[in-house]
Amino acid sequence: MHIPDGFLSTPVWTTMDVISAPAIAVVARRAQRETQDHRIPLLGVMGAFVFAAQMVNFPVGLGTSGHLLGGALLAIILGPSAAVLVMTAILALQALIFQDGGVLALGANVFNMALAGVAAGYLPYRLWAERSRSGAIFAAGALSVITSACLALAQLLISGVPMRGSILWASLALFLVSGIIEGAITVAAVGAIGRLNPGWVAGPEPSMSRTAAAVGVAAIVVVVIGTLVASTAPDGIQRLTTQALDSASWSERAFRGVAGLALIAAVCYLGGKLMSRRRSA
Amino acid sequence: MYHLVIDRWSRGSSPLHQRDPRAKLAALLVFLVAVSTTPPRAQLAFAGYAILLALAALRARLPIPGLAGRAALVLPFSATFALLTWWSGDSLRALALAEKSFLSGMVALLFVATTPLTAWTAALESWRAPRMLILVIQFVYRYLFVIAEQAQRMRWASVCRRGSRKRRWFDSSVAAGLVGVLFARSWERADGIYNAMLARGFRGRFVPVTPAPFRQSDAAFLAVCLAGCLGIRLLL
Repeated sequence: MHIPDGFLSTPVWTTMDVISAPAIAVVARRAQRETQDHRIPLLGVMGAFVFAAQMVNFPVGLGTSGHLLGGALLAIILGPSAAVLVMTAILALQALIFQDGGVLALGANVFNMALAGVAAGYLPYRLWAERSRSGAIFAAGALSVITSACLALAQLLISGVPMRGSILWASLALFLVSGIIEGAITVAAVGAIGRLNPGWVAGPEPSMSRTAAAVGVAAIVVVVIGTLVASTAPDGIQRLTTQALDSASWSERAFRGVAGLALIAAVCYLGGKLMSRRRSA
Repeated sequence: MYHLVIDRWSRGSSPLHQRDPRAKLAALLVFLVAVSTTPPRAQLAFAGYAILLALAALRARLPIPGLAGRAALVLPFSATFALLTWWSGDSLRALALAEKSFLSGMVALLFVATTPLTAWTAALESWRAPRMLILVIQFVYRYLFVIAEQAQRMRWASVCRRGSRKRRWFDSSVAAGLVGVLFARSWERADGIYNAMLARGFRGRFVPVTPAPFRQSDAAFLAVCLAGCLGIRLLL
């Protein structure tokens, strides 16, 4: 889901741009360090490959079809930092040349699909690939799409695009279905690539501890569930934002924001601890 | 790149094409920010932006209907949300939503239709965008249509041989095979590209493009755009 310009309110798109730009700079430096010379053209060609692979229709159900979105596939094959870079390049080209997503909203789209989407595609794979490979790949594809879509929905809601409860439920159901389809397609595509040359899907050396991966997966799950829960009460969100804007003083609002962030961080930390303990048990 | 009309347009020689890409990129951002921060009740301002864009398109000697038609690609998405907004009883805001997304799409198109990709990536690079990202953007753009065309041919071939009928609820064997082979060919192509780069004297380092000097005419262009956008935003 590419957000065009004109949908996000000014605070939302500026915040997302301010978050995404330095994040991409860091990721680009990391990718430059990790990528050997001969793989530089490969990154670009993989971007073009994802564009082209989106044209291949996978039949789903009766007469309908879905196509690969590719975030999780790139993460599995190229590793996270290269995949983020390739997705960012694709999003930039889509925004400028193909009228798919906005230029000011690029920060939001990069955050949803390149940063969060690739993270949500890589972490489950890294965490569960040894236990059940196709299960991990399915989770990677599904989580990557659902996370991106939920984040985009949340940004639109915060920007004040009005959505009624029934429409929200319908779009959440749609996200779930597209997540399942992406998961199935990713499993099929990685399988087909692996049959041609198992070396291609072995992936680069993991550069992340299992605990970090577990914490990441927990954070993603919390974000997705949080969006789902918040979305069931959109009027609540609206009331909260208008109330906060009307009544609360600046310091009070800032305090609420920090408290919310601290709560999220604490939940992520505890969730991650719990998951890694269960793994080692 | 003969597939893309925009790519052909971007090689024009109008006064707008000759402006420094940095000036055009800055003007693009100014315009986008002005449109984004315009309140829905200022309907006159949206008309002003549209006139500004039309003037720029005339100056660039580009067909306005062609540009508008391509920018209208955003409309299905924004129309959906505009309808939702309208349904919840805010018709002015619904209109503004559609107008904003259309104008933003139009100005982005005008930018890429007057600035070749190498020029705007050079501008981004002079603004300290990561080297690696710029390289990946250039490679993706260069091979986009090559590989998309290959995918198209492979799809036709598979439809010719097997037909487009399917048997089960989710039958991915043909499509997955297509993706797999496409991946293999892309991978081989990347190897070939690297070999060709080596053959042309690549020594593991890309030489940055030195941008042309920023001239007075570029500064004047930027000033006019700034004045136009700010004038419309603040006065109308």
